[in-house]
Amino acid sequence: MTSLWLAWRTTKRYRVRAVLAVIGVAVIGALLFDMLLLSRGLLASFADLLNSGGFDVRIVGSEGLPIVRLPIAGSTRLAAELRALPEVRDVVLIRIERATLWSNERTSRTVTLVGTTQTSGGPYTIVRGDDLPRDSSSDRCPLLVSRRLAASLGVEPGSSVQISVSPEGVRSALPPVACRVTGVVNFFFASTGEHSVATTMTALQEALSVGAVDADLMLVASQPAAGPAAAVRAIQRVRPDLRAYSNEDVVALFNQNGFAYFRQISFVLSSLTMVFAFLLVATLLTVSVNQRLGEIAALRALGISRGRIASILLWESALLVGGGALLALPLGGLLALGLDQLLRQMPGLPERLHFFVFQWRAVATHAALFGVTAAAAAAYPMWLTARLPIAATLRREVVG
Amino acid sequence: MAVVEARRVTRLFPMAAGPVAAVRDVSLSVGDGEYVAVSGPSGCGKSTLLHLVGVVDQPTSGEILFDARDVAALTEAERSRIRLVRIGFVFQRFFLLPMLTAGENIELPQAEARVPVADRRARTRELLEYVGLADRADHLPSQLSGGEMQRVAIARALANRPALLVADEPTGELDEQTGEHIADLFDRVHADGTAILVVTHNPVLAARASRRLTMKSGSLVS
Repeated sequence: MTSLWLAWRTTKRYRVRAVLAVIGVAVIGALLFDMLLLSRGLLASFADLLNSGGFDVRIVGSEGLPIVRLPIAGSTRLAAELRALPEVRDVVLIRIERATLWSNERTSRTVTLVGTTQTSGGPYTIVRGDDLPRDSSSDRCPLLVSRRLAASLGVEPGSSVQISVSPEGVRSALPPVACRVTGVVNFFFASTGEHSVATTMTALQEALSVGAVDADLMLVASQPAAGPAAAVRAIQRVRPDLRAYSNEDVVALFNQNGFAYFRQISFVLSSLTMVFAFLLVATLLTVSVNQRLGEIAALRALGISRGRIASILLWESALLVGGGALLALPLGGLLALGLDQLLRQMPGLPERLHFFVFQWRAVATHAALFGVTAAAAAAYPMWLTARLPIAATLRREVVG
Repeated sequence: MAVVEARRVTRLFPMAAGPVAAVRDVSLSVGDGEYVAVSGPSGCGKSTLLHLVGVVDQPTSGEILFDARDVAALTEAERSRIRLVRIGFVFQRFFLLPMLTAGENIELPQAEARVPVADRRARTRELLEYVGLADRADHLPSQLSGGEMQRVAIARALANRPALLVADEPTGELDEQTGEHIADLFDRVHADGTAILVVTHNPVLAARASRRLTMKSGSLVS
């Protein structure tokens, strides 16, 4: 006859009250769980997105968040220098431009054109066709197109298209370049409404009608033995005028600036849900204790200790809160899926970015917060029974 | 030897118009195996005296000695322990736990006293037979009549073999015939050597006691 067993029997006896409490806590808990998933989810998803390309250091020409890109002067030569560093395993040059793409049917779309020196395993998954060729002489302008764009223009691997680059801030009259679609891909960083294409740096140079083009982003893979922090230090020694960030640095920068808003919202809403859960369970337990004062006074008169009665109440609280908190996990998970789909419709966000990401850490925090809530909700009823005057209560029960 | 002794106890209750004495300068002793009944009109202080002797309340002045120990000098845990193992309480309204069966209600004080499971199961069976409810062990209080509930409550009070059984109007909620059955049961408990202090309006029950006392306006008058 443990306190838990007695609490379970009490909970079963007052079934309707228990079911209402569990449902209430489950609904509140689902919201709390979602807030916890949201507070770290975007960051975790962003970190996952950064790490998915296989590069752990980013070099840009500007300070602050590595979003605004300036061309990196002498990037081709710099890439060769960096590849020679013992801390660096690989370097890729990236240049992003706006462009217009025409299919053979003369249908056009404005696209984001990514020029890259990476010819395999880039930040995309191939849906159909092949990756960019390693040998630039085999194809003048090989092109990877996003699945959405391929569907929109009706192009497939092997299709011929024409592309005309429109450099930012420049009134352009560049002639279109004939390209061949080598593959249809899903770009990791492409946003929902964005049409993206990728080609080789050589092809981009031709499209821009320039001899050499500077990258505006360099991706570096550090040597596993050295790690990204050592690679960043080595890069800064070579080119102190540039900004090199490890993926952790980028995530930390976004955490400080870009995602603070979500954390604050999540903190405020989490706190509110905890207060609601506390009020719900504390009220139910207090009402229940007030209805059972005679019974409790009689138990005390029979020699059942204050500690035992307090622990029964604590277990009752734990059962109600625990039951609700457990139910809250699948409920919150389903709600998170729906909310995530809704939020990902926001324009300009990479398709692979998620707002709600399952993390065991969120489950642990959820459990810890509800543990505290259960204890706090039981505190007042426990105090009420601990200071219950036995004789006066028994007298009142008989007179009443 | 006295199981419990009240020495010149007074119990005042604070009221808006000034303190009211529910019990005034009362001395009472209940000896080992004695059967004492206290009667008197409503509000004369019978239940208050019972609560003082049953160690659930403390006198404003005077002393309560249980097993020759001054109750006022004990901690709440020690008083609770006395109530658990030395006193059995029977209430007018039974106060059985509604979510436990008759058997489990009787087991509860034994579990609190850390009686091993096998021993307490055996004691519970014995007590259910003693009160004539061997076939009702698995029934919830809501499935029992008033008389059956009071018999379970008496069995619960006897679970830890107390030296003193205190009963506050144990027949107050029962009809005459059922009240007589309870009185018979008290006779058996007394015959088995347990001291009884019963507060009652029921003359049939009071007549069974070996010593009958009357209270009036907070004082024992006979």
